[in-house]
Amino acid sequence: MSKINELFNEKLNVINVGIESFKDDMSKQHATVTHLEWTPPGRGKIEIIAALDKLEEPSVAKKIEAANKLAVERIVNSQPVLIGFDQAINVVPGMTKTTILHAGPPITWDKMNGPMKGGVTGAIVFEGLAKDLDEAAALAASGEITFSPCHEHNCVGSMAGVTSASMFMHIVENKTYGNIAYTNLSEQMSKILRMGANDESVINRLNWMRDVLGPILKEAMKLSSNGIDLRLMLAQALHMGDECHNRNIAGTTLLIQALTPLIIQTDFTTEQKKEVFEFVASSDYFSGPTWMALSKCALDAAHGIENSTIVTTMARNGVEFGIRVSGISGYTWFTGPAQKVIGPMFAGYKPEDSGLDIGDSAITETYGIGGFAMATAPAIVALVGGTIDDAINYSTKMKEITTTENQNVTIPLLNFMGISTGIDVQKVIQTGIMPIINTAIAHKDAGIGMIGAGITNPPVEAFEKAILALSETI
Amino acid sequence: MIVQVIVKANTYFDSVSLMSLSTKANQIDGVEQAIIAMGTEMNKEVISNVGLMTVEIEEAKTSDLMIIVKAENERICANALEEIEELLTKKNTTKGTSEARYSTIKSAAENIPEANLVVIAVNGAYAPREAKKALENNLHVMMFSDNVSVEDEIELKQLAHEKGLLMMGPDCGTAIIGNVALCFANAVRKGNIGIVGASGTGSQEISVRIHEFGGGITQLIGTGGRDLSKEVGGIMMLDGIKALEEDEATKVIVLVSKPPAPSVEEKVLAQIQLCTKPVVVWFVGGDEEKVTKAGGHFAKMSKEAALKAVLLAGADESKLNKRALNLPLIEEVRAKLTSEQKYIRGLFSGGTLCDEAMHIAMEKFSDVYSNIQREPEYRLKDVKVSQGHTFIDFGDDQFTQGKPHPMIDPSTRIERFIQEAKDPSVGVILMDFVLGFGAHEDPVGVMLPAIIEAKQLAESEGRHLEIIGYILGTELDSQNIEGQVNKLIAAGATHASSSQNAGLLAREFVVKGE
Amino acid sequence: MNLQNRGETRDMIYAKSGNNDFIQRITRSKLNGFIHSTFKHTLNIQCLEDGELYTIACKEIDNGPNTLIVDAASIKEWNVQVNDKVCTGNNHISLGNKLTITIERANCWEGILPTYPTDIFVLKKNVEQMKRHIETYGTGGGIKSKSFCESPFELEMSKMLHERTNLVLNELLNKQIQRALKHAVSLIGLGPGLTPSGDDFLVGLFTTFHLNGSYLSQHKEFCKEIEKVAKTATNDISYMALKKASDGKVRESIITLIEVLLTGEKEELILSLNNVLNIGSSSGTDIALGILAGLEINFKNGGLLNDCSSNS
Repeated sequence: MSKINELFNEKLNVINVGIESFKDDMSKQHATVTHLEWTPPGRGKIEIIAALDKLEEPSVAKKIEAANKLAVERIVNSQPVLIGFDQAINVVPGMTKTTILHAGPPITWDKMNGPMKGGVTGAIVFEGLAKDLDEAAALAASGEITFSPCHEHNCVGSMAGVTSASMFMHIVENKTYGNIAYTNLSEQMSKILRMGANDESVINRLNWMRDVLGPILKEAMKLSSNGIDLRLMLAQALHMGDECHNRNIAGTTLLIQALTPLIIQTDFTTEQKKEVFEFVASSDYFSGPTWMALSKCALDAAHGIENSTIVTTMARNGVEFGIRVSGISGYTWFTGPAQKVIGPMFAGYKPEDSGLDIGDSAITETYGIGGFAMATAPAIVALVGGTIDDAINYSTKMKEITTTENQNVTIPLLNFMGISTGIDVQKVIQTGIMPIINTAIAHKDAGIGMIGAGITNPPVEAFEKAILALSETI
Repeated sequence: MIVQVIVKANTYFDSVSLMSLSTKANQIDGVEQAIIAMGTEMNKEVISNVGLMTVEIEEAKTSDLMIIVKAENERICANALEEIEELLTKKNTTKGTSEARYSTIKSAAENIPEANLVVIAVNGAYAPREAKKALENNLHVMMFSDNVSVEDEIELKQLAHEKGLLMMGPDCGTAIIGNVALCFANAVRKGNIGIVGASGTGSQEISVRIHEFGGGITQLIGTGGRDLSKEVGGIMMLDGIKALEEDEATKVIVLVSKPPAPSVEEKVLAQIQLCTKPVVVWFVGGDEEKVTKAGGHFAKMSKEAALKAVLLAGADESKLNKRALNLPLIEEVRAKLTSEQKYIRGLFSGGTLCDEAMHIAMEKFSDVYSNIQREPEYRLKDVKVSQGHTFIDFGDDQFTQGKPHPMIDPSTRIERFIQEAKDPSVGVILMDFVLGFGAHEDPVGVMLPAIIEAKQLAESEGRHLEIIGYILGTELDSQNIEGQVNKLIAAGATHASSSQNAGLLAREFVVKGE
Repeated sequence: MNLQNRGETRDMIYAKSGNNDFIQRITRSKLNGFIHSTFKHTLNIQCLEDGELYTIACKEIDNGPNTLIVDAASIKEWNVQVNDKVCTGNNHISLGNKLTITIERANCWEGILPTYPTDIFVLKKNVEQMKRHIETYGTGGGIKSKSFCESPFELEMSKMLHERTNLVLNELLNKQIQRALKHAVSLIGLGPGLTPSGDDFLVGLFTTFHLNGSYLSQHKEFCKEIEKVAKTATNDISYMALKKASDGKVRESIITLIEVLLTGEKEELILSLNNVLNIGSSSGTDIALGILAGLEINFKNGGLLNDCSSNS
């Protein structure tokens, strides 16, 4: 029987694209109809559609499919393990005493926004390279400081991402593929360097982290025989209601629970250990950077796979939003303007005080947690300005632009659906659905700090540039 | 207190679900009483005993599930029924999470393995791409979108042909598949006649006439208007004929189109010759001899085509009401029209209905002009100005640029109607009113004030203006055809019972000196 | 065997057991049709040849007339839709091109109701036991009235069921079969649920008409008369149960209950009774009450041996 004759004998099950009233008419006649949430692909731009078409030619599509399968396999199979802490200068590749790493794609001093400039000058003072902030600004402008994106040094940095030589770093090893990722330590609080604050209290805290917190953590992890399996801990944290970007209360509890037996065995004074525990307890965010390092560690393992259209990095420097794509190896960034973050503000601040979207923390969404896993963290829907339904919708919607589900990390509320993994540039362009990112809001000026939290999307331009480049290379 | 009822035909839920549903329904705020039970006579008796009997319940069958809600006001009732529906469907979904949404055909196809057809009604610039996706996922396509290049159409139809799939369209507005009317189509009986149509309203007209003659439709396959062009080569019509030939339920096949390009006509006729089932051919203005030679049953007009089809399908001719022309009426109207009132002005929302009326007029008159005339000589110089007998298809591109189709938005036609009514050389204004899915909910009603005004105007000027209305639809269509007819007649217009009769009446009314 | 297999090949499922009519339809002749209805644990096939419904049920369901039990926990994930085509051949039955069930390993089940005993001492004791158990554990809302009614509709329904079952029983007790018939007909299709309670009660009652040697067993035409009316008076699914029961064909759990009632111990009785009570929502209770009613009539009107010994 031909397929047409088969259709005559089946119950009609229709996918409706376009005019919605047609759906209603068919439904009235008891046909099963699914209305597509359709928008013109690539915002209707001819060159973008042409690029999509090229990538969808069967021979090309086959190559891409195989490459993407490999890429997401590597993300899913990655087993990032926290193996230690040390100062950046000792471990981070390419780190020098006068290097300052920052979040997002490359940017020069003159173009940096307020929070990042604040972070940079604060870091210069902290490193003892300048007496005060003014001198630090002059030094930063002089060209003697090497600025480089964290991402180009196997690192990630939250918010401004400012990372300097003597800061202590998480060391996270990918037990499956061997690569290592780094990120610095949470400063807790809201008036902090990564948010652009840089007064004495900020520098004092950084000093204490360098002199007490970092060394204790370093010594503690030396006592750990196998390190701490972060993926396992992440999965637990999600089941406990974290999405591990804006909500970290469960993850932090789990992490300190694992670190405590090690910390108490170190040779530091009880007073110092107590300070560490009090510091951790002062903010839920303590494990935030840890999950970023985990994500970075898994995604780096999936970068540089020929023909893959999977996104391996999303990062912002406060001016530009940049993405990297697996199939285009090395440090090629596709950028668009950083977006506003929409969400509730701390009392006394107004939307116009917000700096634009900033930080490497979108690496968590690239991995599939954070905004992608909103359905697992109903407790913070209000924090990012939404409802439970919105949260569930965010998570299910992200399936439309990703390649697979990571069954190692699941969302109970969605029938234990694995987190959506492997953002595919093609799917983003095809559907017009942008990845959803949970994030904090920093004040637009240097020296103030965090003023709110919310959600944002990448600029579509970054993905459009990526698809054009992919269509030329594949 | 308000009572509202939903009867779900042939719906079975296990008793446990029904009980828990009933309990939940009775707990909905503001609901005084909710009943969920199978529609047996005995259960109806109980309902009647508690004073909740309604017409819908009366008509429920033993296999139907009755849902009855009694509440303070309509809003609460409606909400409760909605909630109950939700509870019911929740039981039906396998995934248990909120309703799945898809943004691409591919992801929908992967997640809904039962999907078999995609209806595409997006901007023509994007439509071919979506259609290709659908075909690649082994889904049949109905493409409502127009403004698609002929190259894209050929590519899509060839792909569909290779895969054995339907590619209805581009620019396909009408289809009925598995008794489900798609886009613009009428509610007609299920039967044993299959239709392949390149013209939407033409196919609608045939399906409605067949229904009126007591027959019914198996499938109505739309091909899109360009299918029988030399370039496209009738790919969809040929595949459609083949599929209907192989379809056990189909006994008779009807083809509806403008005359095909010669090379395509040859192919279609060759296929008719090979076909083991009777094929009725209505090619508006087509050639009888060729069709008959190929073993087809030629019909010059629409009603004739439908009649041939139902007779071939086994109807008893003696029992049919063929709706012959009302000859006394013709005499009566001729007498009312002055010698100056020579012309017909046909104002149509349906292209093929316009085409048919025009061809009927062309049999007796030479000065027949239209925006859809095939002879350039008789094409209207200015579509805004009528000349001689004028037939206008308001669904044609010149009128729809940036506007919805006249079946949805009648404003352009109303303006033109008033213009024609003022013209003293006009004897008859002929209009169609299309009912059915997708169409305006009260097409006669929106025209009514203009009709009344025109009649009065003519009367004040001492002339009779004859207005003929044809209403394309069945009693099953949601617009209530009877009400539409009554409105038309009440306004003093003449109601024609078919497209064919409408054309014939208009022509005969203005024939002089016969 | 992997039921979750979603590879290229169609899923193949083994039937565990099936009643002999159904199995013979598959092996000896053809069964064509379509899916009539689907539930969580069962689906019904409308057979085009004989117009009957055939049931495919998961392993947790008991054997029954026209029923095939398959080795699966739920049919939900089969994705079979109402109106999907069904056909048989080669010891297989295939559902909507989506999956195939093979009966190669299926045991043939034939349900035969036992004969009414001459000594009804044990039976009487068990019937008392059964009554008490139903009073406590039976599901209300059908024949057994609910402790409180949620709506006037429920109240009225309960009243009508009560009145009509009593009328049927009184007439049967008075050996007025024709008059009983009239009231029994008014029970068809009456009641809540997929299989209306009135129907379920009649299924139970019919069962007692097929205990050969009992008083009621000489009036089997009573069942056939009701069955004729039921075709249009209730839905297809409930009608099938009535039709089969009118020939003495009932579910395995009902047969087991009857067997245990005749000879079994208390523990056994409660177990087998619970299996019946668990059918549907109130259906099981309604069936059980039908059985009880029929048995009471048999008690009062005497066994066949005493009454019309010439017939045996």
